[in-house]
Amino acid sequence: MRRKTGFRILTHDRSTTAGSVLGVVAIVFLVGQQLAIMFGLFTYMSVLVDHSGADIWVLTKDVDEVNSSGSLPVRYVDRIAGLREVEWVEPLILGGGSFRSREGKYQPVQMVGLPRPRLENGPWRFDEGSLQVLLDSEGATVDSLDLKVLGYPGLLEFYEVSGRRIRISAITRNIRGFGGTIIFTNIEKAREVSGLPPGRCSHIILKVRPEAEVSAVASAIRTLLPRTAVLTSPQLAASTRLFYILNTGIGSSFGFSVIIGALVGVVIITLTMYTSVLNHRRDYAVLQAIGARKRDILVVVFWQALIVGLIGVFVGFLFLAGFIAGTRNGQLPTNMPLWFPPLHAAITLVLCLLGSTQAMRKAVKVEPASVFR
Amino acid sequence: MISEIVEQRIKAAESAPPIQLEGIARDFFDGKVLRRVLKKLDLEIFAGELTIIAGPSGSGKTTLLTIMGFLLQPSEGRIFIQGREVTRFSSNRLATLRMQKIGFVFQQSVLVPALTVIDNILLPSAIQGRSVPRAVKARARELLEMLGLRDYVDAMPQQLSLGQQQRVSIVRALINDPPLLLCDEPTSALDAESSAIVLDTLKRLSLEPTRAVVLVTHDPRVFPFADRLVKIEDGAVIYDSRQGRQGVPTS
Repeated sequence: MRRKTGFRILTHDRSTTAGSVLGVVAIVFLVGQQLAIMFGLFTYMSVLVDHSGADIWVLTKDVDEVNSSGSLPVRYVDRIAGLREVEWVEPLILGGGSFRSREGKYQPVQMVGLPRPRLENGPWRFDEGSLQVLLDSEGATVDSLDLKVLGYPGLLEFYEVSGRRIRISAITRNIRGFGGTIIFTNIEKAREVSGLPPGRCSHIILKVRPEAEVSAVASAIRTLLPRTAVLTSPQLAASTRLFYILNTGIGSSFGFSVIIGALVGVVIITLTMYTSVLNHRRDYAVLQAIGARKRDILVVVFWQALIVGLIGVFVGFLFLAGFIAGTRNGQLPTNMPLWFPPLHAAITLVLCLLGSTQAMRKAVKVEPASVFR
Repeated sequence: MISEIVEQRIKAAESAPPIQLEGIARDFFDGKVLRRVLKKLDLEIFAGELTIIAGPSGSGKTTLLTIMGFLLQPSEGRIFIQGREVTRFSSNRLATLRMQKIGFVFQQSVLVPALTVIDNILLPSAIQGRSVPRAVKARARELLEMLGLRDYVDAMPQQLSLGQQQRVSIVRALINDPPLLLCDEPTSALDAESSAIVLDTLKRLSLEPTRAVVLVTHDPRVFPFADRLVKIEDGAVIYDSRQGRQGVPTS
């Protein structure tokens, strides 16, 4: 009966209930939206590492993010290849360039140069063309998300990046880095654009044989090449994300937005639940007069908070799903890891209950004797 | 042997007055002055009687009723329910005592507007989280029928007239079959016809030998329904028809 009473009071006082639900929706949507964008940016930050297919990355000494590596001798590749546990090893060049559009406008791009013929760490989703187009000495890709900023370059047409000629031979789908536009090409073209001298590369990536242990191989390479930074792919992805979170203000910015979103929701819940108790204080007085203990009153308000929370979480996630679906092919990066929705729902319910504590206190403090006034 | 003792105790409890007040005083502080609203008042309420407590506004009759219903703690004095002292009971135990031993009929029917008639009636039986026994549900329907409300079982309180709402309040007050029914001016908001129905009902209920009905009013037209009339003025009993004497304030 306590649950039923709580539920009936909610349905009876629809406008106040709608306000409380709105508070929960605000928490779910505002916090969820900010975090989905942040997780989306996380995937951008480490996109090349996450999709490289490599187990270990070798970078210049003291580098802790993927884009900052300087210049490494390509001969290190042969030394690493000498290790029995290594299945394959390839040099890589990541470098900046400036794309010149048809109209003569310039757009900064990140060039990713892959060694032929293996083309490891190449693009993994295509709208037009395939990986093999990069076997062509001038072949390059652009992404469908970047067509607008690059002035809608035509397929198989020639363009310039930092004064070097490339041919747009394929269009990738939704592959973007934290720095913006990524253009995949072969390692020789990337070397021309970035200005790295022959015999040098920016990164070395390698795959470990299935029977070997990645961390053991990484240690072996550290011993072999003491003047390099050797990181496993998960380590490099994590340190790259951490670098951007700490050095770009993105962490504090999203953290602040998340806190504001949660606060707004909690304040709305607190005010509306409190108003609901005020509107029904005579009912709570009656309940106490006819035998409800303080804990029974708490149960009635607790159930109201829980029902409001569950409805709000459901509606909020519907909005959030709509938002994520709407941005799937857009410029705004969004990503929601599988562990996030249940955690977000649980925290939101806890916040909803916290927001209801004032209402609970008020309901318990209603004087039962007030029914006589 | 044990069952005999238990039986004896049950009989003793049933034969004891449903409620007994000993030296009850109540003070209120209005921000400047401490005012004594009830002045060490003694009162025993007997089963099988309709006791009317009358007095002018501000005489302390509603405060007295509130204390009798454990909705307000007395500043001094002792309260006995069926011979057992309950003055020092915790708020939780008093709530349970209210649920089991007391039925309330308020000045205006205070039904929970969000609940149907039947749910309002079953509240005292289920508000502490227990499920409602079938017998209680059957009793609710029986009482509704007795008070002419059979067709309003699933109605919302707003769909009923004030008189009907007050009758639902009476059913709610009776649902746990309490030995004491406390009524605070139950007819003050009703028209003459509804008042007569409500008073008749309360009179009928008071005839049951295990139940006492206490009715607080300042309306002399209600007095003829009383088996016993207690008049209060300035926080003290000045007349009790059972004792046939003028009460004297003790302080």
